[in-house]
Amino acid sequence: MIPERLILFTLGGEEFACSLQQIGEVMEPLQSYPFAGAPAHYLGLINFHGNLTALVDLALYLGLKSRPIPGKLLVLDPRLAHLALKVDGVSAIIASDLVTGEEPGEDPLTEAYLETPSGRVRLLQLEALIDELENGLKQAPARI
Amino acid sequence: MSQYKSLFLSESREYLKTISDQVVALEQAPAERSAVDALFRGAHSLKGMAASMEYGDVVVVAHSMEDLMARVRDGALCFEAGVADLLLEGVDLIDVMLADVEADRECTRPPDDFAERLRGYTPALPKKQAPAGEPPAEHPAPQAAQPGGEPEKAKEPAGEASGTVRVKTELLDHLINLTGELVTNKHRLLNVAQEVASPALNDAVSETGKLLRALHDEVMKVRLMPFEAICDRFQRSVRSLAKKSGKEINFELSGREIGMDRGMLEQLVDPLNHILRNAVDHGMEESAERAAQGKPPRGTVKLSVSRDRDRISIQVSDDGRGMEPQKMIEAAVAKGVITPEEGALLSPRQALMLSCIPGFSTAKVVTDISGRGVGMDAVNAAIQKLGGTLVIESEPGQGSTFTLRLPMTIAIIHALVVQCGNVKGAVPVTGVLRTVELARHQIETMGKRQMFQLDGEAIPLLSLNRILGLPLGRFPNGILPLFVTEAKGRRVGIVVDRFLGQHELFVKPFGRPLCKMAGLAGGATLGDGEIVTILDLAGLL
Repeated sequence: MIPERLILFTLGGEEFACSLQQIGEVMEPLQSYPFAGAPAHYLGLINFHGNLTALVDLALYLGLKSRPIPGKLLVLDPRLAHLALKVDGVSAIIASDLVTGEEPGEDPLTEAYLETPSGRVRLLQLEALIDELENGLKQAPARI
Repeated sequence: MSQYKSLFLSESREYLKTISDQVVALEQAPAERSAVDALFRGAHSLKGMAASMEYGDVVVVAHSMEDLMARVRDGALCFEAGVADLLLEGVDLIDVMLADVEADRECTRPPDDFAERLRGYTPALPKKQAPAGEPPAEHPAPQAAQPGGEPEKAKEPAGEASGTVRVKTELLDHLINLTGELVTNKHRLLNVAQEVASPALNDAVSETGKLLRALHDEVMKVRLMPFEAICDRFQRSVRSLAKKSGKEINFELSGREIGMDRGMLEQLVDPLNHILRNAVDHGMEESAERAAQGKPPRGTVKLSVSRDRDRISIQVSDDGRGMEPQKMIEAAVAKGVITPEEGALLSPRQALMLSCIPGFSTAKVVTDISGRGVGMDAVNAAIQKLGGTLVIESEPGQGSTFTLRLPMTIAIIHALVVQCGNVKGAVPVTGVLRTVELARHQIETMGKRQMFQLDGEAIPLLSLNRILGLPLGRFPNGILPLFVTEAKGRRVGIVVDRFLGQHELFVKPFGRPLCKMAGLAGGATLGDGEIVTILDLAGLL
């Protein structure tokens, strides 16, 4: 089911979308601090209104070209996760009734491909992304 | 109603709610491992609490639910509608039992064949093979799971005595958060005051610091509960185990009135229960054996709590058979936990700590007494996570003493901040035995290991950079900073790039996804706003 409102963003030259309801805030990049034992796609930790929040380079995680531009941070609703995603830019917020076509996604992270006024976008399943990130950390090899 | 029963009821209902929530979540995402684990833990904890209160019917139902979830967890069974129905039926059953307990009446809904049905459960045929229109039937959906049903409202607690109010624990947690943030900001202000060199600002910040300390102490006091709130469970648990094993035991409790943080009390129940059960099950001899040794036929197990300024000490001691360090070493070598060479280097005290190494315990029997693989290693890890330490002393033939030293609160800790590569980490000072600056020529190579001598003992060296997957430090001046900690029962030296000093830190737990990362116990903000992670040495080593 398509969320009522979508936030569209760009990543490695591709258009993406996710549910606006699951995003707590869109921020300019801010100072992050590296932390021990983190996989490469973790850029570090940021302080988001007192919550220590992991910052993930989403392009790097998805295997897309990570661009050295400042970009934007999509901070997820803290009730969902303490997670911020670095993306290249945020292009629009649209209502679901502007979606003119829908094709199912072919991987757990992609809920669907949507036809929008901004073109074809990949709708990300944020719950699945959080689960994957958690599993990645649980399965990290022992370091000693 | 006694406060113990009240605590048991409120916690049991919380677990029931968690189980219900997880069952529903799993129906939507059956492959979600964390929900399977949470369900299993919920049933296990419920069983443990009920066992210590001697509510046998609840134990039977929770134990069978735990067994069912163990089959799901181990892949022997898929999580499907039939499993969910049975679990929810179990939740309803226990809910009725709790209502009976609360009303002090006989059980109105005994478990009957519930446990047997769960034991013999096999998945039904896929729905498409069932005749159209026929319900899957065998296990009717419980009322609580029906959509649209109006959940029964929880009864409001009786009115409080005048002069007191009941406050939600979330509100207290929020107050602690706020005071912690204020402490962090005090350090920021101190940094600014140093930069601008203003005596007036310094005075103001210093005064604010004192007020904050007082505020923090008061807020923490509000969260304190007497140890008594949990100790009744231990009394029942020891008595019940003594009865089952046919041993005569006096159980003595002291320090019931000592106050501890509520969150910490909850996390101490399982470790203390385990130590006490070990004392009765393994430590204590049978009466005839005791009499033959000239001991009183009735053994004594003591649980005593005391307070020394801002530290709590909990001791569990028995006058049983004690442990022999040499036998512990032999057993550890036989199980491949340590090498004979490593065994030869251990002091008697270190040998006793071998019981805390994962894999040392080989108990295979799973019963409602022994639990499931929660050994002394898990006990030690739980205590370390609380910022505490465990010391084991024993005299063969005379008995053993397990001493837990814990901070009174867990929100604000003192930590040694270290630099490794581009990463800063904080090590709780409770885990640091001492710091050393080691010259390269003091390092000895023994086999593949690098060691150094400390108080006549060869201490192995490990690099924190290597443990964390960071480039190794260079140390151009030939001096290696290291701190000494204890791992696997013996002291080890952990080399870091630099010491950055001791800090007072307000610990914040990580949310998803970092809460799943082993080796991190949370994070904290330094006075300059920089974020550091708190290293969980037990998890890393």
